[in-house]
Amino acid sequence: MSLAGAVSAGPHVFWITSRAAGTAALALSSLAVCAGLLVGTRGDALKGMGGDVKALHEALSMATLAAIAVHGAALLGDHYLHPSIFDISVPFTGAHRPFWTGIGIVAGWGLAALGLSYYARTAVGQARWRSLHRFTALFWLLGIGHSLGAGTDAGQLWFLAMLAVPAAPAFVLLLRRLGRGYGKTVSPASSSTIDIATAGQASAASRISS
Amino acid sequence: MRRMDDPNRLEAKGLARAKIRAKRRRVQTIRRRTLRGSLALFAAVWAIVFAQLVSGNDPALSKSFRHAVHRPVAAAEPEPAPEPEEEEFAPEAEPEPAPEPEPEPIVTSAS
Repeated sequence: MSLAGAVSAGPHVFWITSRAAGTAALALSSLAVCAGLLVGTRGDALKGMGGDVKALHEALSMATLAAIAVHGAALLGDHYLHPSIFDISVPFTGAHRPFWTGIGIVAGWGLAALGLSYYARTAVGQARWRSLHRFTALFWLLGIGHSLGAGTDAGQLWFLAMLAVPAAPAFVLLLRRLGRGYGKTVSPASSSTIDIATAGQASAASRISS
Repeated sequence: MRRMDDPNRLEAKGLARAKIRAKRRRVQTIRRRTLRGSLALFAAVWAIVFAQLVSGNDPALSKSFRHAVHRPVAAAEPEPAPEPEEEEFAPEAEPEPAPEPEPEPIVTSAS
């Protein structure tokens, strides 16, 4: 550690927070995609654990969205970049690496829209929601592109390891799913049957508890 | 027709209730663990970036920081002084203070 290079982190707290939240969001989104693809696979390996993996997928997705929100909001406090709310929320308008930052903003909005639409899936329609939800993987890939193109730590070994470790299995699962064909693993008919069964169980549970 | 207080039915109800309770508990545990894990991950990355920055190895700041810190140091280094063009610009040596005259011996009529 060189004392000459030592610098007070005080003025950079917002910047550090944004970078940490962005990296955490990246790792969490990779894990969420992994869990999501496992939920969709419904293989024998997950027999009896489907509910747990689904809960994990939901929790990881929410954690990802929270981390993305912190990643963007923390930048507002940074005195060096000093972006406006417009710069961090509207793609391709910022002054700092507009293309890569814009891709990140698109990815953030996409993940938020597709993630939160889970709670409106009855209004959207199960089949439509399911087909839309598949685009989550595309926004996840855009997020990875954003981190490599605009990320300050993109060249750091620890960052690349943190990116690769959770992303590699997600990539493998995604390729496997694409190889099989997206719609074949869980057909709308079977999914609606599952949802109806879940709804029936829930209503039975509410009746029992009341 | 089966009665509502049929023991088998009540037992099944109890089992269903227990299963649902266990499932809720499991989901709560998963959520709590995910939250803790996410916070731990965020804290760990924060610490890494902070350590990087404090040690002067930050990928972005190292360049700008070196410019910011080392430039004044470089500027403070003594530059070769320009040759005086004419002698009259040379700083004049301060005149040495004249030695004070020693007091003359006092001559009295007695000596």
